[in-house]
Amino acid sequence: MTGTLTLAQAAVPRDITLTEWLGDPDTWLGSSGILANLADTVTLCLAVILTAVIIAVPPAALLAHKRKAELASAWLVNIGRAIPTLAIAAFLVPISLRSGFGFEPWPIFIALTMMTLPPLFLSTYVAIKQVDAGAVDAARAMGFSSREVLLTVEVPLALTVIFTGIRVGAVQVVATEPIRAFLGGDGLGRYVRDGIGQNNDTLTVGGTVLIAALAGLTAIAFTVLERIVKPHGVRRLRSDARPRSTETTYEDDAPEVPEPAGGIDAATGRLR
Amino acid sequence: MTVGGGFVGANPLLRWSYLVEQWDTVQTAIVEHVQLTLAAVSIGFLISLGLAAIGLRFRWTIGPITGFSAFLYTIPSVAAFGLLRSVFGTSLLTAIIPLVGFTILILVTNILDGFRAVPAPVKAAADGMGLSPLRRVLTVETPLAVPYMINGLRIATVTTVGLVAVAAIVGFGGFGRLIFDGLNRTFWTPMTIGAIGSILLALLFDLLFFLLGSALTPWARKRPA
Repeated sequence: MTGTLTLAQAAVPRDITLTEWLGDPDTWLGSSGILANLADTVTLCLAVILTAVIIAVPPAALLAHKRKAELASAWLVNIGRAIPTLAIAAFLVPISLRSGFGFEPWPIFIALTMMTLPPLFLSTYVAIKQVDAGAVDAARAMGFSSREVLLTVEVPLALTVIFTGIRVGAVQVVATEPIRAFLGGDGLGRYVRDGIGQNNDTLTVGGTVLIAALAGLTAIAFTVLERIVKPHGVRRLRSDARPRSTETTYEDDAPEVPEPAGGIDAATGRLR
Repeated sequence: MTVGGGFVGANPLLRWSYLVEQWDTVQTAIVEHVQLTLAAVSIGFLISLGLAAIGLRFRWTIGPITGFSAFLYTIPSVAAFGLLRSVFGTSLLTAIIPLVGFTILILVTNILDGFRAVPAPVKAAADGMGLSPLRRVLTVETPLAVPYMINGLRIATVTTVGLVAVAAIVGFGGFGRLIFDGLNRTFWTPMTIGAIGSILLALLFDLLFFLLGSALTPWARKRPA
């Protein structure tokens, strides 16, 4: 348990330059080095993203497939957005301590997961809903069961959009995780914390660079993943089937109902 | 660390007498939190209006504008506060600049959506009635874009309430200060007040903007759901 707020970085002198600090092997290695903290951060973020995907994506896909709970989803998302992550994490600290789980990492884990669920749920819901009605109707006409329509038509066609939602959520998680260092934990945020605490700008800026780099790498990694998971059939479809789409354009001309008034959309009004 | 030691007796989650004895501290936190939130969202809204105006006038700038706002939005909050602290020290700028930056993506996209959702026939009708382009924008398009703007303000404000608490790491941040004060002393009362206070404030702003939205758009209320 890394509950103690000891200043293990006290050895870093204040007049060291950023390149000197980053160039020193001791900065990277050891139990409190950058690599160890990076591993801490990445582990937590991956756990949060996986948990959020498992909790949010299947129910969102199923509900969107059945066109159920549309308004409820919109409200859930609105309320979820109103919950400040830091406040939730802080509030969970004494509860976690009392339950014997220690300072860390459960409060921040739960808070980050709660932050990720609503947008992920909404993006998955919208992704499934926006699947071309013609494709769904064609599958039905060919005798696909409702389950087959969802799993073999709607999910593959919506996969790219679902993954975009996951990518946005993942970047958000990586960007928010550093507050963990201010809640009794470590991870990459510790350098910013120590830098502020010791009035050492090199540490602060160094930590900032590391956090920003990880957020950037996350975005790139998930963009690559997005390309990889795209089903082969859909990949071919994209290139030659797009102009054939007879759907009315959703873009500029169609006045969509604003979100506060009409839930998620209500614009398409498709017959089922 | 004595896990949960004295948790129930001496150190409850919330000691009510604190609210009375330390009301000054709590009040300062509330005022600071509201001020920082409103200041950041107002400045962000003005900047976003300007950016949206540029985007609508010169369409090709929309891509770069939203791209840049999206970049700002993904900057990790701790990193932004930390970096600016090394530039501005403990000045108010350290807290306010990142807070403003985080609102811009939400506000710009909502304002742009609002203006782009104005139906083309409405614009044509306004032109046909002889309105100048400026009057058309101000008296026809802007009112129709209001629901989108309110929605953007609502999301931006609620998000900012959460981020203001994080600004406590650079010495500002209203309820965030109470949160960290409680954490550092493992004295739960201020922490609980800070946490619940910022959640309640976020919900309150959410409700206020919802009411403002329906007050400003009487025509939308009668629409069947």
